Amino acid sequence: MNRAFLALLLLPCLASTADAKPFACPRAGGDFVFGQEANFNTLDQMSSATISTRNIAMNIYETLMTRDENNNPILELAEQMTEAPDHLTFTFKLRQGIAFHNGKKMTSADVVASFDRYVKIGNQRSILNNVAGWDAPDPATFVIRMKVAQPTFIESLSSFSVPIVVIPAENRDIPAQQMTSPIGTGPFQLVEAVPGSHVKLKRYDGYQPNTAYEEKTGFGGYKQACLNTVTFRIVTEAGARVAGLKTGELHAVEDLPTKSLPDLKKDPNIAILPLRNWWIQLSSPNTSTPPTNNLMFRRAVQAVLDMDEIMDAASDGNYSLNVGYQYPNQPSYTDAGKETYNIKDPALAKKLLAQSGYGGEPVILLTNKDYPPMYNSALVMQQQLQAVGINAQMKVVDWPTSVQMQSQPDTGWNFFFTGWGTQPALGALATMQFLADPNASYRPKNDKGDPELLAAWNDMNTLPDAKDRQAAFARMQKMALERVYTVPFGSFTKVQGARANVKGFVPFRIPRMSNVWFAN
Amino acid sequence: MLAALLRRLFSAVPVLAIVSLITFGLIHMIPGDPAVAIAGLSATPEQISNIRRDLGLDQPVLGQLWRWYANLAHGDLGRSLMMGQPVLDVTLKRLPVTLALASYALVLTLLLGLGSGIVAALKQNTWVDQAAMVLAMVGISLPNFYLGLLMIILFAVELRWLPTGGYVPLSQDPLGWLATSTMPAISLALLQAGLLARITRSTMLEVLRQDYIRTANAKGLPRRLVVLKHALANALIPIVTVIGIVISLLISGSVVTESLFSIPGIGQLLTQAVLNRDYPMVQGGLLVTTALLVLINIGVDTCYALLDPRVRHDG
Repeated sequence: MNRAFLALLLLPCLASTADAKPFACPRAGGDFVFGQEANFNTLDQMSSATISTRNIAMNIYETLMTRDENNNPILELAEQMTEAPDHLTFTFKLRQGIAFHNGKKMTSADVVASFDRYVKIGNQRSILNNVAGWDAPDPATFVIRMKVAQPTFIESLSSFSVPIVVIPAENRDIPAQQMTSPIGTGPFQLVEAVPGSHVKLKRYDGYQPNTAYEEKTGFGGYKQACLNTVTFRIVTEAGARVAGLKTGELHAVEDLPTKSLPDLKKDPNIAILPLRNWWIQLSSPNTSTPPTNNLMFRRAVQAVLDMDEIMDAASDGNYSLNVGYQYPNQPSYTDAGKETYNIKDPALAKKLLAQSGYGGEPVILLTNKDYPPMYNSALVMQQQLQAVGINAQMKVVDWPTSVQMQSQPDTGWNFFFTGWGTQPALGALATMQFLADPNASYRPKNDKGDPELLAAWNDMNTLPDAKDRQAAFARMQKMALERVYTVPFGSFTKVQGARANVKGFVPFRIPRMSNVWFAN
Repeated sequence: MLAALLRRLFSAVPVLAIVSLITFGLIHMIPGDPAVAIAGLSATPEQISNIRRDLGLDQPVLGQLWRWYANLAHGDLGRSLMMGQPVLDVTLKRLPVTLALASYALVLTLLLGLGSGIVAALKQNTWVDQAAMVLAMVGISLPNFYLGLLMIILFAVELRWLPTGGYVPLSQDPLGWLATSTMPAISLALLQAGLLARITRSTMLEVLRQDYIRTANAKGLPRRLVVLKHALANALIPIVTVIGIVISLLISGSVVTESLFSIPGIGQLLTQAVLNRDYPMVQGGLLVTTALLVLINIGVDTCYALLDPRVRHDG
């Protein structure tokens, strides 16, 4: 047995105590209505990376492995995982007695079919690049065989970005995004889905909770459906979400606007639930184009920025300052490169500008209004740059256009504004891929990334020891910040709210509907 | 008259062909592609290019155009890139929602617009006339999004008379539909009612000054008969033209209202489709909507013929 295996076995044991009892619904029943801010297009989890799909779908589906409350990998549909000494085989023993929402018992043939579909249409199928194949030696065993040893494979496999959800084998050949009647093993099953309006789920009475735990944790743990039904209502207008929460039509909502909070806090029927570290707001330079191809110029930009001002405008006051690419509550967090962050020194910026030979050419800030935080952060950055004599100009397009322009370094932009949410939560490896070849976000000349940065990236992926991989991450972060390959501004807090009689609703990466109940 | 109707129907075919070509061209000219929307906010370039390949978006645009027309010839509007469902199915599911809402709004528009316009004309230069025209101006000036929010605060949050949003299909629960559609219908109707009231008033005033109305009054005909049979019937032709335009505006204006009140109609569907660059959905959805608007216009023309014998005989 290796360490990874031991850790995966021990985690649930550590979560349990001798006299602890698994969660039992204090009260069952009720129709819970959640106000979701963004529309969903599909519930085909394998082929969608949108948060709006995941919010709903991950109450329906489950995976072999997932992440706990602190984003550590844990087992979900498997009860045991063994890694071979040569690191080329992973053997999963499946939990017994699990049935799909259609009543069919789950076996390893279903897991095989799920992997077969994912490798064909999965949005993030590259996580299986190093996998030679998979098979099912018996109905309770699933085996993954690797082409090469990949120390980070379990981290990738347990990713919730676009998870390999387990579906019945008969759904193997459904084309991407055409899974209109999703069937999973989760605590809730689909009743109806009307894009643009709502999704209704109901309690799955045949659900088998994971008895290795006593409580839900992250996407996994001991889950129970206490509610009869859950309705995700699409309410894109923030004012309508606030109104719905106030009247009680909506029992919980996401993304409450800051200006509504003082009023809502006075209401004894409403609880405000801040979800810290929701995403990292940042800007990426275009290092193929002048003047941002000049390191001294990029350092001048870095030197002038006041991150409090930027984040305050971007997040409507709901933020925390944060160095680098991980959230402070994560084990992989490092403040390496902190001396480059939030310098706000105009004099130093002017000095660096003079050294860079900047001649007043336009500096184009490429942003969009689809995501107001991106627009607002660009607006404040523009003012700060103009204050030291940089000819900063905004180019405002819609989100798909800005992404397309960013993918081509010669489309006339210098800084691209975006946010990284899910990837930082998944860990350093998922995040730093944005800075790796090909198509690194800082758009290196001829798409050839910084060799030293790539060496650190390679170490992050291949070093066998986790400590060494973490050191490589720290090195890569420091380098990326010092060479100004991105400018992270800080972390967002997403403010959710719930009616006071809603219990057990704990903010997480998705609105988890298991272990939630009405007090009265 | 039947021949004229058939002529109009056949003339709609080239209109639809041209609209579909323009739609195809415009949506493909806008930068950005659906792969970005499908991949989500934090997607890597590799994920985006995988999706692009899966969806055939890496194929030449002319090839995509050819495929679109070839499928169209078989009555196939394609499959939504975002939802994975046939465009025609999705459109036909959403269209009745918008049509029901627009019909409700049209009834309110006619009641408010025609009623206040007629009353204002009959009470010209009195406080009634001025009050009706001030209200019409308020209706025209208030953006329906803002009006919708004000109504949510008043009728849903403060008075608790109506729900803040959501939608119940008419076929499922008529009372529920009425509750969820009333605020959206009012917010849609007020603008159009304002326009209709002003036009009805001016048309009625013009007709009321005609010699035949004076004659009818001199003959001692009851006032109600003079107004409804002689004046209104003759004022209706320009009003029907405006009503035709109002119906089109109610359907196109539903975009904002549907988003605000979470109503799964065609307006919201097409807005999302454009934002997501869901090419087949935009192309097919707009084609169906255009066909509907063409039919409405033909219907309006038919009404002319029914209302005015001169048109009927010329036709």
